[in-house]
Amino acid sequence: MVIFGVLRSGLYALAAVGLALSVGVIGIVNFAHGEFLMLGAFLGYWLYASYGVDPLAAIPFGAAAIFVLGGAIYRGAIQRVLRAPELNQMLLTFGISIFLQNLAVILWTGDPRVATVPYKATAVSIGGFTVGLPQLIVFVIAMTLTLALYAVLGRTRIGKAMRAVAQNRLGAALLGIEVERVYLLAFGISTALAATAGMMITLQLSVSPYIGLLYTLKAFAIIVIAGLGNINGVIYASLVLGLSEAFVEFYVPHGGGWAEGVFFLLILLVLIVRPRGLFR
Amino acid sequence: MTAGRGISLAVALILAVAFPFWANEAQPYYLQIAINIIIFAVLALSWDILARTGQLSLAHAAFYGLGAYTSALLTLRAGLAVIPAMLAGALLAAIVAAGLGVLTLRLRGIYFAIATLAFSETLRVTTNQLQFTGAATGLVAPPLLGGQRVVQYLAILTVLVLVVLVSWLVNRSRLYFAFTAIRTNEDVAATMGVDVVRYKVFAFVVSAFFAGITGAYYAHVFLFISPIEAYSLAVSVGALVAPIFGGLYTTAGPVIGAVALRLVEEFLRSAIRSGYLIIYGLILAVVILYMPSGLAGVWATMRGRRRV
Repeated sequence: MVIFGVLRSGLYALAAVGLALSVGVIGIVNFAHGEFLMLGAFLGYWLYASYGVDPLAAIPFGAAAIFVLGGAIYRGAIQRVLRAPELNQMLLTFGISIFLQNLAVILWTGDPRVATVPYKATAVSIGGFTVGLPQLIVFVIAMTLTLALYAVLGRTRIGKAMRAVAQNRLGAALLGIEVERVYLLAFGISTALAATAGMMITLQLSVSPYIGLLYTLKAFAIIVIAGLGNINGVIYASLVLGLSEAFVEFYVPHGGGWAEGVFFLLILLVLIVRPRGLFR
Repeated sequence: MTAGRGISLAVALILAVAFPFWANEAQPYYLQIAINIIIFAVLALSWDILARTGQLSLAHAAFYGLGAYTSALLTLRAGLAVIPAMLAGALLAAIVAAGLGVLTLRLRGIYFAIATLAFSETLRVTTNQLQFTGAATGLVAPPLLGGQRVVQYLAILTVLVLVVLVSWLVNRSRLYFAFTAIRTNEDVAATMGVDVVRYKVFAFVVSAFFAGITGAYYAHVFLFISPIEAYSLAVSVGALVAPIFGGLYTTAGPVIGAVALRLVEEFLRSAIRSGYLIIYGLILAVVILYMPSGLAGVWATMRGRRRV
């Protein structure tokens, strides 16, 4: 059960870290985050079903495509509300989310789809435990990417620029950092990370236009547990969510359905008891 | 209120009351659409009452669903008559809102929105799991007032008139100043002696009561409810897009927004069948970007220009 929960938390971390980036650096709570994930998943499915491209091999392509789309949406819409009230920012991204979701319904219908890769049912055993190969691959890639993002933020020039902008927009601008470009880049990376998570979902689960909301909510749960804007806490928070869900699935009768509600309890508990987040 | 506005309101009301008697003869489908529009208008206006305190709720569907399920279950499992059951549904929604409000209304902006959205989704999951509530299959509810469409229409029209009255009173009383102060700057309002949480909880309870009674009405008029419909995100989304489109924090704005949106939706539904919600997303984005005060703002600017 523990292994199951840990493996799942890898994907959660990747889905949430992009949202944490956009909240932390730009200060935009992006309700459409899950929709970028959903678009990535459809891209992965489509490339696999039509051209036989393995979703894993297609990741760089899909991430780049969604990076461009995310950047365009940032330039066309989100940039305009950066100084508007928080309510307007939220409503705008909510509108984008509804728009993208229903666009997907119109384009591809609401039916769930599954990409059956040859190694889908393959299992490997590590130290006496048997785990599914796709789950293991997804976990490794997701964790690598999340840690890579931490490294970029911590070590590189652009990462330092992002952290500077996150702390003090005006101060960073005075130091000669081009704030707008940093924002654009951060938003693009945020959506590209979501898309990558989406493409890997095609390996394990079915894809439908409606999965976006679920992942937006789970990503929210994670960044609320971590503390809004706290990017470093995301991995721990993902573990909390992944393990609690696995716990409910294994120990509660009919737990599969109940697990869908776990993230709400976590959100509510954290918000009431410690609104600044657990890992800060 | 000026005399001119009073007269036009009275005419509108008379037309609205006379409408079903004509529609029932001419084209019963119009009656159905009118009922849908009024349901939507009640939801939009009741959502707006909470929004006046600066809180964006994504839980309107939760109270709508709670009202629907409570009322349906009370009539089916406890043998209660339909109207008392509907009132009980609305009351339960209000009580739950009070509880949720005390817990979550200390949270601001984004935190509150997330908490309410998650609350709504969790109710859906729970209802989907429990056998008692009919699980995913849903419930069949007994009809309101013997299933007569004209009387049913007048019933929901009464609810609309009530919520319009409440909204009008809120905007005419001391509450208006309290709500506006809280929305503009919560800390200043608190310093000035406004009991912020109490006003917010009050607004939340009123808002949830009307959502609850509308949900209950829906159950007994369309006779079937399921978790996916009763707790649908479309309800929450519609309830917030209509006021934003029509004009926030007013009484007329949400109602006009609801009527306009529902007519567009009705048209789109027959044109593209699935995914017609796309219009809500589009309108939301366009309104936020280009006309932040909604239709009411556009109207006010146009009138202002004409005068100058």
